[in-house]
Amino acid sequence: MEMIGFLILFPLVIAGLLVIFRQDKVRNVIVWVASLVIMGASIAMVAMNIGTTGTYYMFDSAVIDWASIAISVIVGAVVIFYSVKYRRKWVLALAAIQLVGTLVFEFGFAHDIVCLRGLYVDSLSLIMTLIIGLVGSGICIYSIGYMEDFQAEHKHEADRRPRFFALMFIFLAAMYAIIFCNNMIWLYAGWEITTVCSFLLIGYTRTEEAIANAFRQIIMNMVGGIAFLAALFYMALQFNTVDFLDFIVIGTLAPALVVFPLTCLSLAGMTKAAQMPFHTWLLGAMVAPTPTSALLHSSTMVKAGVFMLIKCGPIYAVSFGPSIFVILVGGLTFLFCSFLAISQVNAKRVLAYSTIANLGLITACAGVGTAEAIWAAIFLVIFHAIAKSLLFLCVGTAEHHIGSRNIEDMDSLFERMPRLARLMMLGIMIMFIAPFGMLIAKWATLVTLIGTRQIALILMLAFGSAATFMFWAKWLGKLAGIAGEPDNVEITVHKSEWFADAVMVVLAVLACALIPVISNYLVEPYVASVLGMSIQPIRDENLYLSTIIVLFMVVMMFGVLRKKTKAKKASVYLSGVSVDNESRVFLNSLSQPQEATVRNWYMDDWFGEAKLTPIGTIICYILILIAFVWAVVSTAGLTILL
Amino acid sequence: METLISILITLGASVIFAIVGTVAGCLLSGLDRIISARMQGRVGPPLLQPLYDVRKLIAKDNVAVNGTIGTYVVCALVFTFIAGGIFFSGGNFLLCVFVITLAELMFVMAAYASRSPFSEAGAHRETLQIMAYEPMVLLLAVGLFMATGSFDLSVLPFLDQPILFSLWGIFLGMLYILTIKLRKSPFDLSYSHHAHQELVKGVTTEMSGKTLAQIEVMHWCENILYMGWVVMFFIWGNPISIAIAIVAFILIYLFEIWIDNNFARVKWQLVLKSTWIITLVLGGINITVLAFL
Amino acid sequence: MSSVSKSPWIIHYDGSSCNGCDIEVLAALTPLYDVERFGIVNTGNPKHADIFLVTGGINERNIDVVREIYDQMVEPKVVVACGVCACTAGIFKDCYNIIGGVDKAIPVDVYAPGCAIRPEAIIDAVVEGIGILEEKSKKLKAEKKGA
Repeated sequence: MEMIGFLILFPLVIAGLLVIFRQDKVRNVIVWVASLVIMGASIAMVAMNIGTTGTYYMFDSAVIDWASIAISVIVGAVVIFYSVKYRRKWVLALAAIQLVGTLVFEFGFAHDIVCLRGLYVDSLSLIMTLIIGLVGSGICIYSIGYMEDFQAEHKHEADRRPRFFALMFIFLAAMYAIIFCNNMIWLYAGWEITTVCSFLLIGYTRTEEAIANAFRQIIMNMVGGIAFLAALFYMALQFNTVDFLDFIVIGTLAPALVVFPLTCLSLAGMTKAAQMPFHTWLLGAMVAPTPTSALLHSSTMVKAGVFMLIKCGPIYAVSFGPSIFVILVGGLTFLFCSFLAISQVNAKRVLAYSTIANLGLITACAGVGTAEAIWAAIFLVIFHAIAKSLLFLCVGTAEHHIGSRNIEDMDSLFERMPRLARLMMLGIMIMFIAPFGMLIAKWATLVTLIGTRQIALILMLAFGSAATFMFWAKWLGKLAGIAGEPDNVEITVHKSEWFADAVMVVLAVLACALIPVISNYLVEPYVASVLGMSIQPIRDENLYLSTIIVLFMVVMMFGVLRKKTKAKKASVYLSGVSVDNESRVFLNSLSQPQEATVRNWYMDDWFGEAKLTPIGTIICYILILIAFVWAVVSTAGLTILL
Repeated sequence: METLISILITLGASVIFAIVGTVAGCLLSGLDRIISARMQGRVGPPLLQPLYDVRKLIAKDNVAVNGTIGTYVVCALVFTFIAGGIFFSGGNFLLCVFVITLAELMFVMAAYASRSPFSEAGAHRETLQIMAYEPMVLLLAVGLFMATGSFDLSVLPFLDQPILFSLWGIFLGMLYILTIKLRKSPFDLSYSHHAHQELVKGVTTEMSGKTLAQIEVMHWCENILYMGWVVMFFIWGNPISIAIAIVAFILIYLFEIWIDNNFARVKWQLVLKSTWIITLVLGGINITVLAFL
Repeated sequence: MSSVSKSPWIIHYDGSSCNGCDIEVLAALTPLYDVERFGIVNTGNPKHADIFLVTGGINERNIDVVREIYDQMVEPKVVVACGVCACTAGIFKDCYNIIGGVDKAIPVDVYAPGCAIRPEAIIDAVVEGIGILEEKSKKLKAEKKGA
């Protein structure tokens, strides 16, 4: 339990230090040391508790209760401050509702409710610990070098880096609070901190666009926050408890009783996990510096959303309405966002759509909620966190060195930034091609879906996966192209960036290679502890065969793949009229030199945003509406019956 | 220990497939060319013509646009062998699909790596083709699971009836995408056996000599593997099924040659639209029926 | 006979000509003459081809094209000049833009005259070329061993 306290409090202390010590050198040292300590502590935490089926600590502290109230007030105050400053009346209204609601709840209803089991550790928390500890703090280390370049590019603006780093660490602390708190009031406090931290991080550059997007984020997430609060109200009134475990137990035994709070929590989780129609906030978050995007996408924020949904998985498995709601929204989000990613030329937007799509799949799996589905969902979370952070970090570095985040500009990156391109290629492959991690998790998903006869979801998975192949493969192809002898521009990449990349790659390869081991020691104990039984959906021999292929591919990419060859150098076929073959210049029909360029396919007529986004958004809005009508009607019906 | 043995069996099967698949694929390709020629009123080349071609390509001088292309192609070839090994040793069908998709990706990457306008255009089209047929292949895996209770192909020879009876829609859908998979007209967008294409040779434009020979061998093996995917619909626990499977194999392949010879190439829009609609209708109805009836 | 002679793949280029020989080359692929009997395939890609079939003469514009196609063909390779224009520039010889036969641009191995060249003559020329291809192939093998 001391470890839990350390993991939550230590980043907070560091955040405080970072605000106090504002010199670059001191800050760099603090960030390095703190990140390494968090990594070490996270690993130690996992080593001490490995294989656990859930330990609940008798811990109740009035201090933390008061701190939660204080946090709610501060969060409310911050949002109200900014909404007044930038004149956003909707945000002001939402913040006021939330603040008043929280205070009424805390003093009027929840003050007498005692939650004895304040903290807990189970295997899902351990997995999240690893993701937050290793990936999250890796991103903090990466930020050191990245933000130095960033500041150099934005010379005339105030140096807000102390605040930036402090927010990153507060974010980590809040995430640890979310995964270790069994008292839902505390969990809610952590939940709100992540909302407001990402609000501040998205608005970091204070450009008009950044501020607009930050407010979009806060509106959507405050809707989720209010839904969370509604669930808390219902729990306090109906069951007189704020114990998360109690809630899950009640829900599993009598799903009809929890339809309303479960629908509310689903909505809260989905706003955080950027499911359609709330996906626009995550797209908007791309204006922030890349480490922010990496943090939001991989280890924090959106993962808090799916964490909540996965925790509720056992209830979905036995409930009807909320389960269908979550499955359909998740599945549709996967399908639509995979299609939309095809039409994107901005690398960060492709990554964003792919994140939303994968979160959709995780959401859908959580909604199915059987043992195999949760197994699949957890692996999707693991691989997505690692691969996505690797990709974001690579795109960020590339952006600083080629001056663009456009995929078309990444032409021949294989030679301009040889090491970075290979890292990026590995990250992409993990995301979409078997037998790398993500696809193994999708395999498990398929097994589950067949087992539970989710025909609609199977079709969405089939078509969505095909689209996934298209948009990743064409990006991969752009990176792989080789022409001429361009200058190597990656010499100036910071050591801290390479270090973070190295952490992600090692994690990625280990995770892909050790799926059976992770399954045995971390995932199956969790599934067994919540559902009483656990099956690995894929047999060991197939997983080890995949491991062999993965290792083969890694050796191929980092060891064998060279431009130099024993073969004689040949020129490229340009219909027999090259002027400068190395730069693909040929003589056109007017005897003028012309460069042969090939752009990727974006198929805007088929998969463009203008075409698909409204359809997906409207369907998902209708689904949410139906879900809430269902929740209210069924709850009201139940009350009358009783 | 059991795990280790079964992995070794799969790898062993891959080696055997590398030999048997190559020989069978070579003969199939030779027959294909003779039959095509006869359909056009020609005599056609000798049966072993594909072998002569590959032997010649190996003897050619070693020339390359850059070194990575050869590496990608070797990977593609190896993964094709492994996919065949998994399939014909009765392994997991989904794993087989995944590995052959990896091989396809390596093939596409080889084209992209040359950064030549013609092979890049071919690579784009190849990627599109993969996107077009992938849903159907996944539904085949789903259907197989629903019909037999697992992705394992080793159960096929012990079934009471062929999976064709329950997977009729998926079978028809597979026949449709088989034309893409076998690189036959009207769906030979990315790469064709015939000359004078607007794409020169599409994906393989920049490959020559040994690398091209490897591609040829890969296609022989792929053809055998894909024919295996459709012929498995006719296998069940009765010795007569072998004879039926052989007849089915011949008829299906003749049908594909007939299509190849009678249809002009279509645009990519039609490929994508038609395959997805067919997948959605035939595949969707089929698995819905399987799940709820 | 080695493998190279059983699978001569050709690439066809039409220079300054009346297109008569061009049509005859295509005629050779039709059912009547069916050159695929000998494993001959028209590839359309210099990187795949063994035999370069040129019809028509060389002019100022196409000389670089012919040279580049030749350079991009992989050894061993053979050039066959089909028709009198390809051999000597033929009827176009004295035109202001004409340089001459194919041998003004690249080394020619087989000259096949005719106006227009008959498909039988094309087949004969290609078969002649196969013999030369065979020799070159042997030489290449010896070089490889020596190196």
